[in-house]
Amino acid sequence: MQIYLPIAEISVNMFLIFGMGGAVGFLSGLFGIGGGFLLTPLLIFSGIPPAVAVATVTTQIVASSSSGVLAYWRRGAIDMKMATVLLIAGVVGSAAGAWLFEILKNMGQLDVVISLSYVTFLGTIGGLMLVESVGAIRRRRQGSNRPARHPGQHNWIHGLPFKMRFRQSKLYVSVIPILALGAGIGFLGTVLGIGGGFMMVPALIYLLRMPTGIVVGTSLMQILFTMAAATILHAMTTQTIDIVLALILMVGGVIGAQFGARMGQKLRGDQLRLLLALLVLAVGVRFAVDLLITPDDFFSVAIKEGKG
Amino acid sequence: MISRGRSLFLGLLFAATLHAGSGQAESLITSLSSDQVLIESNFTGAEIVIFGQIGRDGQTVARPGNYDLAVVLRGPEQIVTTRRKDRFLGLWVNREAETFYAVPSFYVMSSTRPPTEMGHRTMLEKYGIGINYLNLPISPQSEVPLSDRDDFRDAFLRLRRQQGVFSEQAGKVEFLTDSLFRTTISLPATTPVGVYTVDTYLIHEGAMLATQEKGLTVAKTGFEQMAFDLAHQRPALYGVLAVVIAVFTGWLAGVVFRKD
Repeated sequence: MQIYLPIAEISVNMFLIFGMGGAVGFLSGLFGIGGGFLLTPLLIFSGIPPAVAVATVTTQIVASSSSGVLAYWRRGAIDMKMATVLLIAGVVGSAAGAWLFEILKNMGQLDVVISLSYVTFLGTIGGLMLVESVGAIRRRRQGSNRPARHPGQHNWIHGLPFKMRFRQSKLYVSVIPILALGAGIGFLGTVLGIGGGFMMVPALIYLLRMPTGIVVGTSLMQILFTMAAATILHAMTTQTIDIVLALILMVGGVIGAQFGARMGQKLRGDQLRLLLALLVLAVGVRFAVDLLITPDDFFSVAIKEGKG
Repeated sequence: MISRGRSLFLGLLFAATLHAGSGQAESLITSLSSDQVLIESNFTGAEIVIFGQIGRDGQTVARPGNYDLAVVLRGPEQIVTTRRKDRFLGLWVNREAETFYAVPSFYVMSSTRPPTEMGHRTMLEKYGIGINYLNLPISPQSEVPLSDRDDFRDAFLRLRRQQGVFSEQAGKVEFLTDSLFRTTISLPATTPVGVYTVDTYLIHEGAMLATQEKGLTVAKTGFEQMAFDLAHQRPALYGVLAVVIAVFTGWLAGVVFRKD
């Protein structure tokens, strides 16, 4: 069934978009990520103008993350203080990202920067997760238990000044790495049109040594507020949020997420991380191929002004 | 559509009789099956039928051979940048770019014969009949070397054709009688909104005899127009509404699928 999108100004197949939302929602529920890094390229590939795809995905992430935040909130698994600090830094990072986005867009180099960033970040994070999860699975097969983590275990990050106490996370750490993390992910999120959950979750676990149980809820809380702000910013500056497209994606997404979450409970943590690593790497490789292989068509057109 | 077409046809005949007898050259009258296309949520494209009558009377010069007709539908003008990828440090990135100013966002030419058979290049270029004869103005400050300009121009036209917004249909203008003609132009689902022009050109042995211009409006209606207006006139409200809808959907899903 075809449906006309009032802002994108094109007709799309409703079930195709619904299916995309559902599939990405499923993965998002399965892995506890927003899924923007999958959904944005999928939409662009299916003919939605890139500006509309990037802006509308932020709205879809608000829906999917708010559903998750609610669930974690009920269980009290959100560190509000940590989320607030991350958020403040995130706003600064987003503003810088929006500024760079505009400059790159005018230079016509947005595509290459986005592709290179995807390759770099997806490649690095996917690779790290792959090594870690394969190691964990191997250890489990051999029957040796992973050394239990001591709450007081320290790394170089814990030696930095300006310490702050986070009761819920049972942490007493410097705010510098937290601010840097929030700003960095806010910056990348705005430039790449993603929530950054796939970067935030491992960073909070491995760098800050936050308890895993609190990480997902806190990360979702930060994503919810960042993306809500991004939605309003996009609405006011680019005016490219398509509410009809967003609604179809949301409904597909929240339904898919529920099935994903149920599936996720049946799989082991290390298996889940291995699958996510492979998925992240696959998207990264896809972008690398585009940069390295001689294109079929050297030319492209972009509308600068006027409708169409 | 059929009954509308018939009444239009009769109306044209009537108009033609009134209009004839003005002088030496042929006159041209055209009419569209509809002068506006309304886009609703189920819009998948539309068809526009263009009827026309070549007006002749006793005083009109007798001409041997057949008339040629070209009907050109042009969408609102836009500025488009065409970019070319090149290797840079082993990566394929956009390097050179050419910007075309004031090019139609949509272009369909329907004619009795292929443009090259209807007349000379000068005439075709003057009226913009045929995709290859379109005037594509570039900025005087363009940095693209002269030798490469045609590559950009060709690429632009080729890509616009692929996207279905530029097309040519030679042989699609049919004569119903000696002087009455008809053609159908399809608007795809990707049709840009705005004010279009439908120009009809009457050509005989390479000479332009008469032209006619009609307007066509492609506009959104109902909810589509409302959403678009809200997004552009009250952007902050639109953004807040989008967030509220998103949070509500998320909350609703949480309630519906709650296990306990």
